[in-house]
Amino acid sequence: MKKFGYIVLLLAALAACRKLNIPPKNIIQDEDIFTSNQGIQAYMARLYSELPLEDFRYSPARGIDFFWIISPTSATTGEALSRDQTNSMQENFGGWSWDIWGGSYTVIRDCDYFIQTLPTYASNFTAAQVQAWTAEAYFVRGMTYFGLVKRFGGVPIVNKVLNYVPGTSTDSLEIPRSSEKACWDQVDSDFTYAMNNLPAVNADYSDGSRANKYVAAAFESRAMLYAGTTAKYNNITLYDAADNQICGIPAADAAAYFQKSLNAAMTLDGVYSLYLASWSATDPNAQYQNFVNLFSDAASKENVFVREYNYPNSVHGYDAYNVPRQLIGPNGYSAETNPTLNFVEMFGGLPKNPDGTLQTLDGTGHYLLYDSTMDLFANVEPRLRGTVILPGDMFKNESIEIRRGIYTGSAAGGISPLLPAGSKAQYPTGQLVTSPTASQTPYTLPDNTLMNPAGLSGIFTGDQTCAISGFSVRKWLNPNLSVAQTLENNETQTWIEMRYAEVLLNRAEAEYELYSLGAGGAGVQSDAMTVINQIRSRAGATPWTAFGTTPIDTIRYERRKELAFENKTYWDLKRWRIFDKEQNGTIYRILMPFWSAAAGKYFFDARTDERNDVYTYNPIWYYEQLPSGAITKSTNVIQNPGY
Amino acid sequence: MKQLYIILVLLAGVAFAACSKIDNYAAPGDTVTGATYDEVTGQTLQTEVGSGTRVELLEISYDSAPVPFYFYSMQDGTFNDDKVFGATYKVSVQGPFVPLIVTDSTGAVVTDSSQTIVLKNKAVLKFDVQPFLRIQWIGTPVLNPDTTVTVQVVVTRGTNNALYQLPVTDINLYVSNTQYDGNNNYDPRYSSLNSYSDSAGLAVIGDTITLTTTGGALPAQDVYFRVGARINAGLDEYNYNAPVSITYP
Repeated sequence: MKKFGYIVLLLAALAACRKLNIPPKNIIQDEDIFTSNQGIQAYMARLYSELPLEDFRYSPARGIDFFWIISPTSATTGEALSRDQTNSMQENFGGWSWDIWGGSYTVIRDCDYFIQTLPTYASNFTAAQVQAWTAEAYFVRGMTYFGLVKRFGGVPIVNKVLNYVPGTSTDSLEIPRSSEKACWDQVDSDFTYAMNNLPAVNADYSDGSRANKYVAAAFESRAMLYAGTTAKYNNITLYDAADNQICGIPAADAAAYFQKSLNAAMTLDGVYSLYLASWSATDPNAQYQNFVNLFSDAASKENVFVREYNYPNSVHGYDAYNVPRQLIGPNGYSAETNPTLNFVEMFGGLPKNPDGTLQTLDGTGHYLLYDSTMDLFANVEPRLRGTVILPGDMFKNESIEIRRGIYTGSAAGGISPLLPAGSKAQYPTGQLVTSPTASQTPYTLPDNTLMNPAGLSGIFTGDQTCAISGFSVRKWLNPNLSVAQTLENNETQTWIEMRYAEVLLNRAEAEYELYSLGAGGAGVQSDAMTVINQIRSRAGATPWTAFGTTPIDTIRYERRKELAFENKTYWDLKRWRIFDKEQNGTIYRILMPFWSAAAGKYFFDARTDERNDVYTYNPIWYYEQLPSGAITKSTNVIQNPGY
Repeated sequence: MKQLYIILVLLAGVAFAACSKIDNYAAPGDTVTGATYDEVTGQTLQTEVGSGTRVELLEISYDSAPVPFYFYSMQDGTFNDDKVFGATYKVSVQGPFVPLIVTDSTGAVVTDSSQTIVLKNKAVLKFDVQPFLRIQWIGTPVLNPDTTVTVQVVVTRGTNNALYQLPVTDINLYVSNTQYDGNNNYDPRYSSLNSYSDSAGLAVIGDTITLTTTGGALPAQDVYFRVGARINAGLDEYNYNAPVSITYP
C-alpha cells in the first residue's frame, strides 16, 4: 500500500512537469501591454516618471527623484545661501539614489523597446495613436540623452535593444562613447522626429504633462542652445583612440546649433504666450501678483511642459524646506534657500553705488536710515518681490520680519559702518544686541517699549535656521498652504519644467549669438531686444532701448533673473563656461538689517557671508566624472579629463 | 539529540572549511617614487596637496588601453607610492605645465614624453617639465605696523611654447595657519585674491608684484604665505612658489 502511494506521487510529479512550458504568469508580457490603451498609458507613465528632470525633487548633492532637498541647487550657483551648502560642488553621483548612468540607459532601453515593439501590435490602435506614441518615445529618449550629454559630453549611443545571449562574448555590447557632437546630433534627431510626428495637442493628456510637437520644439531650442554655447565657449577636449572628440565640439559648428535653437523657438510663436492674467501695465502690485500667480495657475498659457505630483504616490516638500523661519512647519525645516545680495543686486529699482552694488551709505559715509525695512525696496522691480521675500514684505498675511540685531550706539551725527569696507570679520559685539536662537529675550528700547533683538525669521547668531542672507526665497512657495500642512512629502504643486518665458530667452540668446557670429540674417539683433522687452515688461522692469556695452551679459542677466530658483542657472553657468569665473575664491554678499535704538530707524549693512564660505568652481567639473561602474563594465568607455 | 549534535558539528566544520579559502595573491609592495622638476631651475615643481600634480600609471602589460591609475604628488612636487603591483607601466605626470603628451586638433599624438618602466621593487622617476608660470619670492614677507603682511613676487613664464603665452588670470596671496597652503586651502579672511583682465594679465609678466593681506591685523599665531598664479590652460591649475612663514616679533 505504501509503495502504491509513492507511485501515485511520482506520477503526479511527472504530470506537473508537462505544464511548465508556459509564459510566466507573474511577469507582464508584451501582449498585456501593447494590446490596450491602458497598457500603453502604463508604459508612458513609467517613461515620463523616469524623465531626468531637475524638479522639486532634485539637488546636485542627492540627485534626481529624491525627497530631501536641504542643499538646494540655487545654493551652488550664487543665487542663494543655504546652511547645508558651504561651497561650490559638482553633482555628487556617488550619493544619488537614482543612478544617472544605469538609470538613464534603462530609460533609453525602455524607449528603444517601445519603438521596436509597438509596430507589431499596431493593428490594435489607430494610425494616429501609433504615430504619436512612437514620437513620444523618441521625445523621452531625446530628453534622456540630453540629460547625459549635458553632464558627460559624448556618451554611448544605443538606439536599439541589446540582447545578451548567455555564454557568448560581451564585446559587441561594450559600446564606446560617441563624440559629443554626435550625441547632441542624436538629441536633435530625436526631438526633430518628435516635432514632426506629434500632434499640436497631446491626445491622451492635454495639460502639458505629456509631450506635443511644441513641447519637443521647446526642448529642441534649449538643447541646441546648450550645444551651440558648448561649441563656442568650451575649451576642454578629449579624444579617444579612434580620434573621436568625446569632449568638446568644433567652434565652427556653433552657428548651426544656434540656428536650430532659434528655428525651434520660433515654432511656438503665437501658440503659447506669457502669463498676463492679473497683470496691469500701470500697477506694480498687479505685476508682482501676476508673477506670483504664474507658478500656480494650471490654466496658464505659459506652461509648455510640466511635471505633476499626486498625493501620496508622488510628492515633494518644497514649502516645508523653504518657508521663512516664522512660518516653520511641524517637521521643523525652514529657510533653506536664502537669496544672496549678489542676486538681488541684478534687479532694477534699487539705490545703487556707481559700481552697481546696493547703496547703504550716504554721501558722508554714514548709514542711510529707514522707518521700515521695505522702504529701501519701495521702487524695486516687481519681479524681485515675486522671486524673493524682502525683509518686511508680506507673505501668508504676515510681515516677514528679518533683523540682524539692535544697534545701541549713538546715532548723533550719523551711524558709521560697523566694519571697515570689505572686512570679512565678525561684527563687533560691543554696541549690538543679538539673539543666538529663536527663543529671544526682548530688549527695552529708549521709549520703554520692548523689541526682540532679531526678527521672527532671523537672523540668529547661534543657529542658521533663518534668513542667513537677509532674504528668503518667494518663488514657488504656496501662499495658501497652512502652517500645519507645511510638511515634507506632502505637497503636490506642479513643477513647470519649460515655460514660454524660457523659449523667448532661448530665442533672444540664440539670435544674439548668431548676430555676434555674423550669421542669422538681418533683424536677429532687434528681434532679440523685442522679446527680451516682452519679458521685462511683464516683470515690471523698464524696457531696454540699447543692449549696452556687453550685450550678451545683458541677455544672460535677464535669463538668470527670470529663471532664478528654477534649477536652470546651474546649467547656464556651466554651458557659458563662466562658473569658474564667478566662483573663483568667491564669498557671496548678504544684506543685514539693523534697528538703531537711538535713531528709532533701520539701517542696512551690506557685507560678505558671515560664515566666510568660499566658492571655488573647479573647471574640470564642466565635464562630470563618469561613474566608475560605467568604466569597469566596459573598458571601451573612457573617463573624462582630470578624474 | 546526539545525532543532532553530530550534524551541527559537521555543519560547523563545513562552514569553517569554506572560510579557509583565502585570497593568496600577494599584496602590492613595489614602489614608484620620484619628482617633477622645473627643467630650467632644476627645482621640484611646487603644487597643491590633493588636487595639483598627479602621476598617471597605465599598466600596459596586458591591455593597450588600460584603465588609468592615478595618485597625487606631494606639495613640493615629489611623489611616492609604495603599494603598486610590479608590472610594465607607462608613467606620466599631469599638472600646470606643458603636457607631456601633446595631441593635435584631431587627437593624433604629436609628442609623448611619458616614461615606460618595468616595475620591480622600486622605480625612481624624474620628470622635467615646463611650468606655465614661475613664481619667485622677492625678499621675505614684511610685517607692517598694522600687523598686516606684505610680500613681493615676480611671475615669469616657464615655457616658450607658443600655445601657452596666455594672459595671467589670477595672482593670489594665500594665507593659512598650516604650510599646506594653496587654492584648495586658505583663510579667506586674510588672503588676497586678484583677477586680471587680458591686457593687464599680459603686462604683469615680469613685474614685481606687491601683495598685502586683507581683513586687518593677522592673528598672533603661525601663519604661512604662498603665492599662486595661473593662466587659462589645461585644467586651470595654479603654479606656486614655496610656502614661507614669518615669526612674530
